[in-house]
Order: sequence, then structure tokens, then C-alpha cells
Amino acid sequence: MSIFGGVVTGTDLAILVYFLALNSFYALLLLLSIPEIWEQTRLAEDDDFQRLMQSDALPPITMLVPAYNESATIEASVTAMLTLEYRSYEVVVVNDGSKDDTIEQLRHAFDLYEVPRIYPETIPTRPLRAVYRSRTRSRLLVLDKENGGKADSLNAAINASRFPLVIAVDADTLIEPDALLRLTRPFLLGREIAAVGGTVRVANNCIVKDGRVTDARVPRRLLPGVQVVEYLRAFLFGRLGWNRLGGNLIISGAFGLFRKDYVTAIGGYRTTSVVEDLDLVIRMHRYLRAHKVRYVMPFIPDPVAWTEVPESAKILARQRERWHRGLIAAMWEYKGMLFNPRYGRVGVLAMPFYAFGEMLAPLIEVLGYVVTVLGLSAGMVNLSFALLFILVAWGYGMLLSIWAVVLEEVSFRRYRRFGDLLLLLLYASLENFGYRQRTVWWRLKAFVTVWKRGHVWGDMTRKGFATPQS
Amino acid sequence: MTSRQVLLVVALVQGVLLAALVALIILNRWFRLRRSARLDPRRVAADASMRRWAAEATPLAAVLVGLARLPVPLAIDALVGWSARVPGERWRELAAALEHEWWARLVRTNSNSGRWWKRLECARFLSVGAMPADVARLVRLVNDPHAAVHVAAVASLERMESTPLTLAALERLPHLAPTVQAYYASMLRRSRPVVIQHLLKRLRRGDDPALPRFAEFAVRLAEPALRERMTALADHADPEVRIQAARALGSFPHRESVAALTRLAADAAWEVRAQAMRSLGMIADATTLPLVRAALRDTVWWVRLRAGLALMRFGATGRNALLEVELGADPDARDVAKLILGLPAQALAEFAA
Repeated sequence: MSIFGGVVTGTDLAILVYFLALNSFYALLLLLSIPEIWEQTRLAEDDDFQRLMQSDALPPITMLVPAYNESATIEASVTAMLTLEYRSYEVVVVNDGSKDDTIEQLRHAFDLYEVPRIYPETIPTRPLRAVYRSRTRSRLLVLDKENGGKADSLNAAINASRFPLVIAVDADTLIEPDALLRLTRPFLLGREIAAVGGTVRVANNCIVKDGRVTDARVPRRLLPGVQVVEYLRAFLFGRLGWNRLGGNLIISGAFGLFRKDYVTAIGGYRTTSVVEDLDLVIRMHRYLRAHKVRYVMPFIPDPVAWTEVPESAKILARQRERWHRGLIAAMWEYKGMLFNPRYGRVGVLAMPFYAFGEMLAPLIEVLGYVVTVLGLSAGMVNLSFALLFILVAWGYGMLLSIWAVVLEEVSFRRYRRFGDLLLLLLYASLENFGYRQRTVWWRLKAFVTVWKRGHVWGDMTRKGFATPQS
Repeated sequence: MTSRQVLLVVALVQGVLLAALVALIILNRWFRLRRSARLDPRRVAADASMRRWAAEATPLAAVLVGLARLPVPLAIDALVGWSARVPGERWRELAAALEHEWWARLVRTNSNSGRWWKRLECARFLSVGAMPADVARLVRLVNDPHAAVHVAAVASLERMESTPLTLAALERLPHLAPTVQAYYASMLRRSRPVVIQHLLKRLRRGDDPALPRFAEFAVRLAEPALRERMTALADHADPEVRIQAARALGSFPHRESVAALTRLAADAAWEVRAQAMRSLGMIADATTLPLVRAALRDTVWWVRLRAGLALMRFGATGRNALLEVELGADPDARDVAKLILGLPAQALAEFAA
């Protein structure tokens, strides 16, 4: 065999081992998530929520709701947020200089009136235009400010918040009525909680009434359908598995509860960050570890928020490219934490996994395709080896996706129809043929744009939620 | 081993796993359907018998039969669900009858189990079905290392009056996370006489590290018998204790409270000053109005806010004071006055809470 042939075969073998190791790590997360999901399900079932609601034990919460061009869904979302089953909470909606009529929608729907804006500006933000309270909903506070991005809006909302816990919620997110109650369970269980993440599910094709998902359905279209499986995989075993490894790096920006004192101590959300939730959580880990504060950041699966995912490839591409760009930026920014035992399991386990497993995966996968095709065409790699590569990279991935469907089926079973279950299995199988390669391509583009463009937010066109047929 | 052989092994393993997963999904659906077909009628029957018994239309025996036919976790769920709907005397009758049921005896033995979920099951059962003989068990469960277990066990205080159990919960309270403390406090409030006697003793120990937490609990009770002790704590060296004293004194409109709050309004710690303002607003003693008005010029925003809210509780005189300040020279005081005067009554009440 020539030197070139040796290089091709060696590279292919190395890539094969990489995917084997990566997918095995996912399998480990999956195994770890099984006792975790069992424990969480048991705790969720055993909680006597009525008793809790009657007690004054629950900590007051401020919901931070940044809104940019959310005219289509803002009224339904905010109405639903204002009628959650929780005793003490407020909702701070921030209109981030929307170009559409978001603020008019809010003003009309909630009978807003302007109030003086005086509270300490703990975190600097773009200038506020006005502060509104509602004549009909005393829990609601609306800030109208100049456009500064999601992170800036969240910081403005934090400044205006009154309560010790803050939850960042996207304006297009539909929160289940008891989700706040469930999300505070770790606080009741007495652990040293810095932040708690809940599950985000896909709302596309679900029936929504009065801002609530009344009937969960799997989308019939492939693109949002595959994203249902992706979300299940990410939340049900990815984050639950990380609970056991003590290194949750992502508390979803669409639905995550944080201690406000920790958020303000690290200066709030970074406006220069592309993916503000990942950046915030990593900085919080870094701050708490550096200050030797005992803490946990658990993910709990039963509090659920529903969100609309992109249905067009163009918008999905922008979203995935941005997420990956954010990941690259965060890994680069906090490279000092990588393999650093000072940061405990976050430094030694989570950061390397995200850097080498998540960030580099698209590069290595593309390299694998190129080398395999090259090797096959030049006769340096035999067909069995190429198929082995496909099985390890795709087959293993497909099995993990199906496992996520199994976890959903044995635990929460939000999709009751047999047809929906079959669709989920179908999407889990099809994900690896076409969709996976497209996401690899989008993520690959992030490497290019991260150096060229800096960070730019993509626009998401909301189409609004389906309502029940009368 | 050649790559072809490895491929075959991997394909075989993946194929088997795939088949197993699909089978698991199908079996799970089938098992659930069968289980619900078997259990739903029993659950409905148990529920119906409980409803009839609660309306005194059927003897207790029917309820016991219905519960015994359910799996233990479902029986406990039914008991917890119904416990809030059946009056105390009749519920005690049921709890006494359950003492002789085989499944309830089995659940009681779980208080010593090495598995937390078994102890949790026991704690949940005892939270609604405990008898005086269960006190030792409950004390053990209240001291359980698993939070879910002791949180469930402490709920038994809703139905049981037991000094050892109350004291066990009270002694655990300072060592818990704030939210859990608040939950314990809401349960302990029901055993007021025992709690107050014990608190009076604990609040005298000036060097006790648990003192701030006991003082915080005393605030929640708003018990006149604790007024003197809380007034004395207004001069404690620990600012955390002084904060609690300042909070507590607002519930006691007494000249000694006003005197202590006047001292606390000039405290070095702004948190103490803010609480003092809140309490002065609750008492709304006319002599303290100039003091509260002066606090609108405090260096800390929170103290100014609390002072502004307090002034609103002084009625027309407080409102007039705010109107004057709104036109005054001090920009900080003016801003707060403008904010408070712009708030609707509901928002004001929420802010003041």
C-alpha cells in the first residue's frame, strides 16, 4: 500500500473510532438518563402540588420575555403566561424595538398605560423608550426599548424584575400551566440550585387554545417532524444524562430558571454573544467554581414549554448556523476552562465533550465522507469498511434517536396517538438520510462565518399556532 | 478479524437493538393499555366508595375493600387526594381502620427501608394516615436525608398534634434551604402553642448560629407572645437578625416596636433600614411620618422605594408628603415619589407585599 493509501485508510479508521467514541458517549448519557428519568418521574408523580400551592413556600419568580417582531403570537403567549398556576410571579415583557406592531398588540390586549421608569440599572442596556403597566393584569410589566438583541432585552427585564428567581422565556413559547410549579421542585427539595432547565417541545402542528397546547401532535412535514426527534434526544437523554455527570452546559434560553443574584453577579447576559444561554451558563459555572460556591444546575424533564420550530430549510439553516457559531465562539472564549480541573467536571468532562464532540463533529464527519469516497474510488478503502463507517456514524445515531422516542414513550407520553408514535419512529429513522447531512453543512458554514461576519441574528418568521376547529 | 466480519457483527448488533427497541415500544403500549383496562375500573370503584362514605351513604368497610384492591401507590394517591375533602373526625376514623389493613402495615414497615422511594411512599401515606403510634416513625422520616421524604413526612403535622414530631421539625428547620424552610414553617404554624414555647427558648440564645432562621420563622408566625423577644433582637449584633426583627415588629403596633423601628431606620445595613421602613408603614404611626419621609433621600434605592410605599400606608398625610416630595429638589426622592404615585392600587398592594 502506498503512503497515500496508508494515510487514507488511517484517517478513515481514526474517524471511525471518533464516531464510535462519540456515539458511545451519547449511549453513556442515555444509560445515565434512565435512572434520572425514573427518579424525576417518581418525584413528579409524588409531589402534592395542591398542598404546595396553598403554602407560601414557593419562591417568587419574574418571567423575562424578550419580544422582537412577535406580533403574531404575543397576545396568546403573554395571556398564557399570566394565567399560570403559580402564586407569586410577575411577567416582564420587553419589546426590543420591533419593526412590526408588537407593542401596539400588547397595548391593546392588556390595556397598558405608561409609568415612570425608575429602578436601579444594575446591568447596562440600550435606552428604554417607555415602561408600561397593565390596567387589567397587575402581574404584567412591559418595557419598550431600542433594539439591542435578545441578550440586551433580557438584561433590561432583569433590571426591572423584583423577584429573586428569573426565568427567561421566549415570547413565542407556550408554557404549560403547572410548569413553573414543577420547575421549582429542585428548590423545594433543598439542593443548592443555581439554575434549573425545563423541557422545550415542538409546538408545530399541535392544537393550541388560549395560548395552551391542548392536543400534542407530531408534525406531518419532515423538517419540523425531525426536529421533534432532535428535541426529544437533546432534552430527554442529553441533558438528563448530564445531570448525573454534573455538567449541564445548556439551560435553554427558551425556558430556564436562574437565581437572579448569580446572573447579576456575572453581569447578566452578554450582548456580544451569539448564543446567549450557552454563554450565560458557562460563565455562571466559571463564576461559581471560581468563588467555590456549592451549586447544582439540574435539568428536570416534566416542566414543559412548547415552541415553534422553523418549517423552512432557509430559516432552519440560519438557526443551526447561528447555534453552531455560538458554540464555536463560546468554546474559544472559555478555552481556559478546557481540561482545567479547577472547574471540576465542567472543565474536565463537559467542556471537552462540547469542544471535541459537538463543535468539531461536522468537520470530522465531512472529512469522513470525503476520505471514504476518495478511498473507495481509488480502491484504497473496501466497500465493507465504507459501510462500517456508515453504520457507526448513522446507524448508531439512528438507534440513539429511537431510544429517545422510547424514553418519551415510557415516561411522559405526550403524543398519545399511535400514528404519532409511528411518525416519530419514521422521523428517527429518516433523520440520518439527508437531514443529518444538511445540518452538518449548515454547521460547517458556521466555521467560516464565525471569522468573517462576527455574530448576526437570523430572523424567524412566525406563522402563529393552529387553533382548534370549531 | 476482517472489516467484512466487523461490519457483519456491527450490523447484527444494530439490527437486534433496533428490533428490541421497536418491540419495547409496542410492549410498553400494550402493557399500559392492559394495565389501565385492569386498574381504571378499580380506581373508579374506590373513588365512588370513598365519595359515598364521605357522604355517609356507605360503611367504611367498602372504602377499605376498594383501597385494598388498588396497587399500593394508587391507594396512597387516592388517600392523599381525598384527605383534603373529608372532615377531620371522619378521616381519623379511616386512618384508625387502615391500621389493621395488611397493605398499610406493609407500607409502615418501609419507614426503615434502604430505598428512598419506599420511604417516600411511607411518608406520603403517614402524611394523611398517621396514628399516635406512628410518631417515632415520623420523627425518623422527618430527619431523613432525602429531601422528598422529609418534605412529605412533615406534612403529617397538618393532621397530627405531637410535641416530639413538632420539635423534630422545628429543630430541622434552620438547616434547610430557604424554600424548604418556608414549607416547614407553613406546616409548623398549625402546632402553634408548642412552637411558640420552643421559640421563646431558642430566641433567648443570642449566640446561636440558627438564631436568624428561628427569627425568620418567628416573623411568619406574627405571634404577639413573641413581640418582646423580637424587640430585644432589634439590638442584636448580627444584621441578619436585625432584619428579621425589623420585619417582625411591623406586625406589632406597640410603642416599643415603634421605638425599636426608629433605631433600626438609622441602621448601618441598608437591608435593615428597608425592612424598618416597610414595618413603619405597616404600623403607620403618625409620629414616624417625618422619619419615613426623610428616608426618601436614603442613598440606597430599595430603602427609598420601601419608604415611598410606606408613606402610601399613612393615608392622606402620607400621600400629601409624596406629592410634596414629587415637586421637591431632591432628584432621587422625586423619582421614587413619581413611581409610587403612578402605581395603580393593585400594583401598589403587590409591591408592598
